[in-house]
Amino acid sequence: MISDEALMLEFQRGSREAFEEIFARYREPLYGFFKRRLASKDRAEDLAQETFLAVIRAAVRYEPRALVKTYLYGIGLKLLSAERRRLSGNEPQLNDEYDSAQDGPSEEVLWVRQALEKLDAGEREILMLREYEQLNYAEIAELLRLPVNTVRSRLFRSRMALKRFLEPKQEAKTKLRSGIAGGEVQS
Amino acid sequence: MSKGNHPIEQEELMAYLDGELATNRAVAAAAHLEHCAECQELAADLRKLSQEMMAWEVEEAEVSGISTEMVKALDHRKRGPKKRTVGGGWSWRMLFTPRRIAWTGGVGIIGLLVIAIAMPNLRTRYDFNATGLAPTKQHAESVYLQGDSRPVPPPPSMPKLSAYDSHSRLRTNGSNMAKIAPGIVGNSDAARSSGGAEGSVGDEIDSSERTLDLPTVPMIARVAALTLTTKEFNKTRASLEEILKRHNGYMGELKVTAPADSGRALTATLRIPAAQLDSALTELKKLGRVEDESQGGEEVTQQYVDLEARLVNEKHTEQRLTDILRQRTGKLQDVLKVELEIDRVRGEIEQMQAEKKELSKRVAFATLNTMVKEEYFAKLQGTPPSTGSRFRNAAVDGYNTVVEGLISVGLFLLSAGPSLLLWAAILFFPVRWALKRVRKANLPQRHGGTEEEQAK
Repeated sequence: MISDEALMLEFQRGSREAFEEIFARYREPLYGFFKRRLASKDRAEDLAQETFLAVIRAAVRYEPRALVKTYLYGIGLKLLSAERRRLSGNEPQLNDEYDSAQDGPSEEVLWVRQALEKLDAGEREILMLREYEQLNYAEIAELLRLPVNTVRSRLFRSRMALKRFLEPKQEAKTKLRSGIAGGEVQS
Repeated sequence: MSKGNHPIEQEELMAYLDGELATNRAVAAAAHLEHCAECQELAADLRKLSQEMMAWEVEEAEVSGISTEMVKALDHRKRGPKKRTVGGGWSWRMLFTPRRIAWTGGVGIIGLLVIAIAMPNLRTRYDFNATGLAPTKQHAESVYLQGDSRPVPPPPSMPKLSAYDSHSRLRTNGSNMAKIAPGIVGNSDAARSSGGAEGSVGDEIDSSERTLDLPTVPMIARVAALTLTTKEFNKTRASLEEILKRHNGYMGELKVTAPADSGRALTATLRIPAAQLDSALTELKKLGRVEDESQGGEEVTQQYVDLEARLVNEKHTEQRLTDILRQRTGKLQDVLKVELEIDRVRGEIEQMQAEKKELSKRVAFATLNTMVKEEYFAKLQGTPPSTGSRFRNAAVDGYNTVVEGLISVGLFLLSAGPSLLLWAAILFFPVRWALKRVRKANLPQRHGGTEEEQAK
């Protein structure tokens, strides 16, 4: 068992097994990364594959200065940015496709996604990288080329904003419950 | 939340919950969080927020394997270098591109410069003057450079990184040997200079010992630290051991403390295969609330390469000394000196081998310093003792107090008694005299006072 960085260096020297191991480790996380940011499941899969294609093509230039994890998400962010430019503002809402999907997401998930949609794009990205990709502050700072303190303050702001956006859900739930309880009592 | 009321800011509290706060601030945050209801509420909100976000799970990707495009790219990448080397006219064209010619010329010039600089150094350094029978400098140099069946032992075929070092070390060792046992070494050199089978001592050394086992990837010794707080200490400990087992790690050190007035604490040094450190950390972080987390790494490649080069040199020296001892005869004193030198070299080899092993182990297994603290809940005291027991205890305490008091008085008298007696003896007569004087002085006044009163 060797580290991601060592695997990458082995792949750089031509080991296909090393690449397959990296692929196995990061296939699902990268797919999740794109899936949460794009409406189309197919595009998410395509972009995850394109990330690995980019890794294959750029392997010669890889230098073990950064973690493979941040290297991959860095490529992912660039691909995502290109994809968004391509869609040029016509990107459907995150939950559009789910509405037509066979098994739609739960109410909880919809609330979370709608609340995330309302966040500022930069702050949302930081929050998602922290919560879903489990990157630490320094890794996020390196990825987005921001000072660590900026990452921390933006993360805090986005969390507080998300909390505010999610609060109506709690109130609605409480009201619904109290309404049902009242109805039962009256009946 | 103003900073006047709270020693830590909200952002810091968030960073603390994320395990991103510096240790000194984290300690302050933990202490403050214990008794600040407002901050506890914020912490609960942040945790809840994370939980709510984690409700958004992504289903697995449908395409699970490597796509055909990637396979093609991988094949293309593999075939790429071969194409350049195979082929007739095409390869010739490639060979004589201006860029390649410039590179080749540049490398050639640099090579010539290096040889020109190194040549005088080799001339002056290759010094064999232990005895009058030693070869001349010119002869030794030509033998050294030509690399034929030479009587002089060649320098080991080290990589360019440490070739010079190896050579200089051998030379130094050689001169040391000459100092230690001039008879033996001198004879040996003389024999070598005269050629023949005895002169090829160095050639008998196993060539495998001369090649360096250089690392192909950067060697990084990783170290991480994690502090967790948990409510279920026993369960967390079992999970920790299970995670450790699953990741093929082992426990270097373990310490569990259970003080009466606080929660239990487990301090462990875990050794986990470096490649599995990240995944193990992720799993461990789920066992409780992360109070502190840190990661670091030390690159030991250079250290390893140096060690390896020194090891090869020492092995070579040992072999050479052994051969000299086996094949040469000389004065008993010189033989003993060579044996002592062999012992010293052997000791160094074993020490370096142990260092190398330890270094490899540090790289292969990351060190994870883990601390698991149990959240402490104050417990009510159990059933109070009966009244009878309390009376009995009070009586025993009373008796003990009396005895202790008597013993204390006795001890005081014994320790301070002689001094008090001495001072009493010294002060008795002066004090008595002074009292008498005072009484005498007061007596007439009293009498006078009464007469005046009588006159009135």
